[in-house]
Amino acid sequence: MSWSSPLPAMALVGAVLVAGSYVVAVLDAAMAGAVAGRRTRLGDAALRPARHAALLLVTRRSGTERPDARAWALAPALLAAMAAVGVATVPLSRDVAVADVADGIVLFGAAMAVVMVGVFLHGWSANSPMPLLGGYRFIALALSYEMPLALVLIAAALPAESLSVGAIVDSQHDLWNVVRQPLGLPLYLVAGTGLAFWGPLDTCDAADLAGGTAVEVSGPARLVWELSRRFVLVAVAVMGAAVFLGGWQGPLLPGAVWMALKALALAALITWLGHRVARVRLERFVVVAWTVLIPLALVDVFVSGAIAL
Amino acid sequence: MGLTRWLGRLASGADIPVFAVTGAGGRLIGEEVALLPGVRVVDSPREANILLVVGRVTAPLLGPLLRVHDQLPAPRATVWWPLEPDGDGLRSAIPGLVAGRPGDGDGLRRVFAELLSGARGSEPPVLPDEEPAEWRGVGPYGQGGTGMTGGVPYGRPLPARAPDPDGLELDQLPLRVGPFFPPLPPGLVLDIGLQGDVVRQATVGDNPFLSGPGDPSAGPEDLDTAAFFHAVASPRNVAELETARARHHLRWVARSLRLHGLDARGLHVLALSRSLTPARRPAVMALAGELGRSRSLAAALRGIAPVTGHDACGGPTARAAGVAVDARLEDPAYRGLGFSPVVHAGGDALARLLQRLAEAVQALDLAERAGDLVRRPGPPLEGPRGPLVAGAPGPSAALLGLLPRLLVGQEWGDAMTTVASLDIDMEEAAAGRPAAAPA
Repeated sequence: MSWSSPLPAMALVGAVLVAGSYVVAVLDAAMAGAVAGRRTRLGDAALRPARHAALLLVTRRSGTERPDARAWALAPALLAAMAAVGVATVPLSRDVAVADVADGIVLFGAAMAVVMVGVFLHGWSANSPMPLLGGYRFIALALSYEMPLALVLIAAALPAESLSVGAIVDSQHDLWNVVRQPLGLPLYLVAGTGLAFWGPLDTCDAADLAGGTAVEVSGPARLVWELSRRFVLVAVAVMGAAVFLGGWQGPLLPGAVWMALKALALAALITWLGHRVARVRLERFVVVAWTVLIPLALVDVFVSGAIAL
Repeated sequence: MGLTRWLGRLASGADIPVFAVTGAGGRLIGEEVALLPGVRVVDSPREANILLVVGRVTAPLLGPLLRVHDQLPAPRATVWWPLEPDGDGLRSAIPGLVAGRPGDGDGLRRVFAELLSGARGSEPPVLPDEEPAEWRGVGPYGQGGTGMTGGVPYGRPLPARAPDPDGLELDQLPLRVGPFFPPLPPGLVLDIGLQGDVVRQATVGDNPFLSGPGDPSAGPEDLDTAAFFHAVASPRNVAELETARARHHLRWVARSLRLHGLDARGLHVLALSRSLTPARRPAVMALAGELGRSRSLAAALRGIAPVTGHDACGGPTARAAGVAVDARLEDPAYRGLGFSPVVHAGGDALARLLQRLAEAVQALDLAERAGDLVRRPGPPLEGPRGPLVAGAPGPSAALLGLLPRLLVGQEWGDAMTTVASLDIDMEEAAAGRPAAAPA
């Protein structure tokens, strides 16, 4: 079967995003229960996201006074579409790749840059102050995520001498990039957590804004927003697994299983940090990003380039 | 139809999204709703199906409460935990509301299940669905007037321009938050002028807990520091008072953690505060050590809203600024226990966190050593926010007085951290103060 044909491609990418985000939701609930000291039964934890989704589906969507309705509806779709583009560029096993294009990591970086537009639209179009503040916050921080993300992906491409994600996975046959480029994965995770506005980098939908861009959203619209946000997290985890953890490579198990396990491990790490690390302050994070993260990412590029030469 | 019923059945097992609104006397119970199994306290009414009203709704709170009510999406229901026999104001304003016993999680679940099964209809709006100002826009975007930035859209003026510290002229967005804005203490209303994310002006609105016409006066029994107010005039066991002090500080820690995105950790601390006894001191010490070492919390709090010894406030806020003031120093009951106040340097939000954690540990140590020791009325009493004097405004009134100055110039997030770090209680600020003038 050709996974690059439209229908199989959409089915595969959709399945990865939906299944991945469901597992992330279960993990998140289980971790929250553990941190809160609550006993959670496995069955309850497994069903919780489905029940929550059902509740949002039977809850009516509410409006605000004169919102930009089209942009409001478009925002989560944009996020979901960009997450789908991101996942599509990653080969899920040796033989399963939807769009392992020659410029895969460039396409991924471009898709993640458009996430900024989606989040801002979501905040702006509600015509309400808290969502607007949330949207501006993401704009203020987005470049601080995107620069390190692009740089560490370029660094990962250097040993492969290719921008294709498949080639980058192949280049890790002997040594994973997480070992070869120790700066890469931590920087990528910080940037990816920010792009998925998760945990300590969830500044745009934060508690100090009573929910930020999502303050005014209810019912199915909230479900779509929550899903889209998890889709971005899944895309970040899948790309991280491919670029830094050797992708589908591993002994005994099928490649797709290795890929799923590695992506899950990254998603679990991001989710766990979300329950352990306090939210950052905007200005301080921007300072840290431009004085520490971006210079470190440049060092990563230069050192990786020198080694590759 | 079948699909809707199936979804409803599946949804009835979901955590109940509750938006909790706190009236007079309801703060403690309102916060503990988050500990009820199967209940999820949410930050926005749009996210909730149940509006939970805890305590007495004073006249100034009724209007904002009704506006919150209409923001809940259908299916919605209102549950009221009145705490005491109340007037009919709320009942007539929201005819469908269900009165329940405070803390009754089963009652919440019953209402939620009825709502989803269709046995209970969704409450209709209680306010007319009208725009707050007459439509006066012109053109497809209602910009009004002439040009894209001229005119009065929707009958409201565009934000006025004001200079910013860089000498630029920028829009200043007027914004009112409260009295039910979750990051703020219940009842606090702030009128804020925002330039971008920065607070340029701040004014504290009228306190809705100041008793007005038709409102019973707020009594000490309504306060979250009731045990301390009672101890001003009557003998009280020192161990009981100090355990209540530690419990108070842990509740504050739980609120702060939630504000900084650590909801689950906050729930853990809230549960610890509820079951607190002097024997749990090791657990509180471990918590103090863990939070004290947290670099992310330190980064989130360091340097925010420093208070100095010259600011007219007492209690942990002053002690966190290195001022060793504490009414317990003059109290014979505490002198026998060898009490000396803990102090921290800096006076910022981080110092206030470390101060309260240290005071919680110290309070449990005092409680453990106090045995049956009883504190007699007479000397000033140190409450968890500062000294309490009969008939005078509580320490929250002084803390509230710091607010406008501390907020101006801060980013929104830091401004919310500032308010939370001061541990203000609007009911305590109202206690002992004269009633509001009739409207």
